Amino acid sequence: MNALLIVCGLGFISLVAEIINLKKGLHIAIVLGLVVAVAAVIGDWNTSATFFNNMLIFDPFSVAFTCLIIVVGIFWFCLTSPFFIGESHQTDRTALIIFTMVGGIMMVSFHNMAILFLGIEILSISLYVLAGSHKESFFSNEAAFKYFIMGSFATGFLLMGIALVYGATGSFDTSEITMHIEGHKAGLPGFFYVGILLMLVGLAFKISVVPFHFWAPDVYAGSPTMITAFMSTVVKIAAVGAFYKIFGLCFFSVQMSVLPIIQGIIILTLLVANIIAVYQNNVKRMLAYSSIAHVGYMLLGFISGSVKFEGILFFYLASYATTSLIAFGILYAIENAKGSTSIDAVKGLYNQNPFAATCMTIALLSLAGIPPFAGFFSKYLIFGSAIEADHIMLVIVAVVTSLVGVYYYFKPIIYMFSPAQASDKLYLSAVQKAFLGMLTAAALLLGLLPEWIITILS
Amino acid sequence: MITNLFYFLSFVAVLSALMVVFSRNPVYSVLYLIITFFAIAGHYVLMQAEFLAVVHVIVYAGAIMVLFLYVIMLLNLNRESEPHKSNILKFAAAICSGLLLVVLVGSLRGTELLKHSEAGEVSSTMGGVKNLGKVLFTDFLFPFEIASVLLLAAMVGVVMLAKAEKKTNL
Amino acid sequence: MVNINVLITLIPLLPLLGFLIIALNVHKISHKKSSYLACGTILFSFILSITVFTHLLSLPADQRVLSITLVSWIQTSGFSADIAFLIDPLSSIMLLIITGVGFLIHVYSIGYMHDDAGYSRFFSYLNLFVFFMLLLVMGANYLLMFVGWEGVGLCSYLLIGFWFKNHDYNKAANKAFIMNRIGDLGLLLGVILIFINFGSIDYQTVFTNPSEVEVTTLTWITVLLFIGAMGKSAQIPLYTWLPDAMAGPTPVSALIHAATMVTAGVYMVARNNVLYALSPFTLQLILITGLATALFAATIALVQNDIKKVLAYSTVSQLGLMFVALGLGAFSSGIFHMATHAFFKALLFLGAGSVIHALRGEQDIRKMGGLKKLLPVTYITFFVAVLAISGIPPFAGFFSKDEILAHAFAYNPFVWGVALIASLLTVFYMFRLFYLTFYGTARDEKQTMDHIHDAPKSMAIPLIVLAVLSITGGFMNTPEVLLGSSWLQKFLSPVFASASGIEIHHLSHTTEYVLMALVVALTLVVIGIVYVQYVKKGHVPAGEGRLTGIQKVLYHKYYIDEFYDIIIVKPLFWISKTGDTIVEALAIDGIVNSMGRLVTGSSNVLRKLQTGSIGFYIFIMVIGIIMILTLTTLTGVAGQ
Repeated sequence: MNALLIVCGLGFISLVAEIINLKKGLHIAIVLGLVVAVAAVIGDWNTSATFFNNMLIFDPFSVAFTCLIIVVGIFWFCLTSPFFIGESHQTDRTALIIFTMVGGIMMVSFHNMAILFLGIEILSISLYVLAGSHKESFFSNEAAFKYFIMGSFATGFLLMGIALVYGATGSFDTSEITMHIEGHKAGLPGFFYVGILLMLVGLAFKISVVPFHFWAPDVYAGSPTMITAFMSTVVKIAAVGAFYKIFGLCFFSVQMSVLPIIQGIIILTLLVANIIAVYQNNVKRMLAYSSIAHVGYMLLGFISGSVKFEGILFFYLASYATTSLIAFGILYAIENAKGSTSIDAVKGLYNQNPFAATCMTIALLSLAGIPPFAGFFSKYLIFGSAIEADHIMLVIVAVVTSLVGVYYYFKPIIYMFSPAQASDKLYLSAVQKAFLGMLTAAALLLGLLPEWIITILS
Repeated sequence: MITNLFYFLSFVAVLSALMVVFSRNPVYSVLYLIITFFAIAGHYVLMQAEFLAVVHVIVYAGAIMVLFLYVIMLLNLNRESEPHKSNILKFAAAICSGLLLVVLVGSLRGTELLKHSEAGEVSSTMGGVKNLGKVLFTDFLFPFEIASVLLLAAMVGVVMLAKAEKKTNL
Repeated sequence: MVNINVLITLIPLLPLLGFLIIALNVHKISHKKSSYLACGTILFSFILSITVFTHLLSLPADQRVLSITLVSWIQTSGFSADIAFLIDPLSSIMLLIITGVGFLIHVYSIGYMHDDAGYSRFFSYLNLFVFFMLLLVMGANYLLMFVGWEGVGLCSYLLIGFWFKNHDYNKAANKAFIMNRIGDLGLLLGVILIFINFGSIDYQTVFTNPSEVEVTTLTWITVLLFIGAMGKSAQIPLYTWLPDAMAGPTPVSALIHAATMVTAGVYMVARNNVLYALSPFTLQLILITGLATALFAATIALVQNDIKKVLAYSTVSQLGLMFVALGLGAFSSGIFHMATHAFFKALLFLGAGSVIHALRGEQDIRKMGGLKKLLPVTYITFFVAVLAISGIPPFAGFFSKDEILAHAFAYNPFVWGVALIASLLTVFYMFRLFYLTFYGTARDEKQTMDHIHDAPKSMAIPLIVLAVLSITGGFMNTPEVLLGSSWLQKFLSPVFASASGIEIHHLSHTTEYVLMALVVALTLVVIGIVYVQYVKKGHVPAGEGRLTGIQKVLYHKYYIDEFYDIIIVKPLFWISKTGDTIVEALAIDGIVNSMGRLVTGSSNVLRKLQTGSIGFYIFIMVIGIIMILTLTTLTGVAGQ
């Protein structure tokens, strides 16, 4: 709980820093503040309490996800210093990023639909602006605008869904809703289910699954690269966490009514995202589709209903966030050096910077699900639980599509190791190197210790 | 009496909403929208939610609509500058929204069950200022406070996007 | 007192750490730093191994099992594997050998590799190898053992092909890798069978109730596991990679292809003694294979002229002898011989390395000779090793070999006879090698001889330490007839307790004395013959062209390589070529390519959905919503 307040406070601090002209140390101060927040989260470990009249709950799930959000945020900040330092909107950008994290934390720790809605809105509104934070870039503007319009549209459905659910159950409080559902299993009005479905639509938009994904590739490709990285890590963790809290916990007993829909969504997502990714010649766009596809795998785990799913989901998100931060971090450095994220820009990376190429290769291999990296185990656990739940058809689709995935993840790897035309070196700062190295080590370690992570949440 | 008033307000709301879509002149659209909002505010009053009605008129019909008007005037939207839309697209959009309407209305049947559930038993003073204030500052204190972060984020975002850039090389 | 579990965990982690640090900075790290780092981590592991070993000794004999689970690695219903270590007398002995001999060879490499361009790379590989080897012996389940097993194979491949610019060396590396793969397949199948039948791959679970599984199944399991051991420990028919593996730097040959990795097969069979004890057929198979290999390799070694090849075939032969011991059910004798062999064979290789180093890469013994005066340290230590391998009392080899021979005699005099011949042949070729190298006149070019110098300090010290070990190593298991206490056998007995069901015959003390005297006398006679032939008469082996009859066959290693080439390699190439042109090109390629085209084609179509127009996106979204709502209503899932 204190972590949320600390993170909020950091947002205000960065705004105040603009007024009293303390921009110099701001970046480090924010990182340190986030570290304090992590310490505060860890202080809440194994406690389970609700706050503010049951508005927020910090149970092990929320604590773990909050922790993940903040830790990934710290790494993100450390990899992104050029995006902030020396820019005219340093404090604004910092504040918006921090507010996004506030929204994210609320989304994984809400105990009341009002907080869910506010969390989503705080997160989204900050993101709309951040997507457009490269004001001179046409694509950045376009991304922001598209995201804004479509995001508002989705929010509308979500709100209507919440309203209908309120109408049927008489409460915004998640546990009261659950209790009401339990008590009135037979007598729930039809519009309650409509409410659930509308909420599903709203959240499906936020986690960007087919057919509600159309914004994602355009927004991911148009936004500044590190904002894309933020969207596909911190924002994704928050959105998937919220999705699980709603459909896995709050609506647990009426899950049956949405499962067929989610199955359809999974098949569509896996097929469409993986297949389109094959054709992409821009690594950033490819990673956008990959990020959509990965949500498909997470949902596959969700419908399997394994008792260990919370742990598996946490592990999946942790390993996905780790590896995609590496990939985006290096892509960002490449973009800064060469002004492009196309596949030709990564050509010959191994000659230009072997360290970056090695990290990137490990990240892509992990995303593709090659053992012994973290990505393999996350997929393995998901497939394992899906097989146990007898979703054989879905597993076949998932395996086939992840084979397709191997193809498009290997494309950049092959390019990286092919000889380069120009001999210009790629420069990475010491901080970037250190943190990329740590993330890569984490990608390896997570592959070695999956059980350890999973048992955190069981 | 109240039933008649309800049907009247509903009729006005639906009619003016349709006019928003069909009128060619964007300024007219905005004016129709204001009428719609007033009609909806009337519904709130019927439901004893006076505070909501007042806020609705002040915020939506007042502030937001004025903003809309300004923007429309600034952009100088008129019939000539309207981008051409193909008939197929219009047709598809019409069918699509029609379907959505049908589906939503269809799935909302069963609402009459509401009165049997506890959720239907609302006290007549629930929408009053006193009650609302009480709830806002007790049960819903945290959302009320955290909404400030939302507003702040929106404000910072607007400032950031609108502020003139000093450097050009971003 | 630090927690013993932490110490155990650190043993394999330190070499890994050393590997990581060196490998990540391979271009930047100075030679000095990488060698200190590599040697330091192994030394520390060795000290830890001693600590663990003494801790084990301090426990009562029947409780000498430490098992620790670090993390549960993979856990799905029905299958679980932990990263867990098992320290018992067997693995503690292995730890001592690996880290101890490994450390000495690391130190030796400082001098041997000093001007090599890939210095740091070399040390990083060595450390990685030690890590995997430790994993292999410490793992508490088959999976971890398999990881170590594959890892050492990989390191061996990397190190054989260390001088990768030489094409032949690469071929040797490939050969080693492929031969090992065949064995590994057997091992893997064995492990899978174990999992199917026992429902677990944890040693302790498997070994608790082995008799619940049918004997036929057990025989299959043990045979498959033994095939794995054949590959790794170079037994007939999978032995030909080991002599070729001598292409690597000499310290590698000493560490990997003599002292440690090739003994993995012996370790694995000994570890599974519970299963083997229940499968007499497999034991018989091991005995025959071991015996054949021991004799076969010894005869080949008789006429080889490359110093390292002789030692390589000698290793194969000695490994055969160890398998003879295992096949007889005398597991502790096998392990004992493995330990002494690790000392004197490492010493032989390092001595040979020192000779090669002094002669600037010359490996042909016909061009050596007269090095006795020039390389005194190498000469003396090499002599000790030759005495040890020949089984002259009281050197280490005497005790271990004698024990195996005694068991063989008790089992069947014929087995004893064959093993005796093999060991007499060993005496012959070792002394032949020794005399040709160090006695007689110098036969190398004068220029090299003038600049010759003995081993530098970093190489000499490991030689001396190993020489001391080769002299004294036998005393750890002095048999009772020689007034010893058979300490090692008693120490290992808890591990092999359940295998005691195998009948091990015991000889009367008189018979043992007679046998010993006979063996030693015969050995001395053979030495005399060799002395007359190569020192008194100054005979130097002829070149290839002038070899006759049996010598020629032996020189060409029974034409086994050619034989394999004709019956395996050529047909395989033919099959794969036909496969390539017909099956691959027409069927597989056709299918795969059309799949690929399907994916890229549909990708191209689907891609066009991403038009960029918001209106269209929202349109699709709304259609999605309508679909969801109608489908739900129609299928009536929604509660009605």
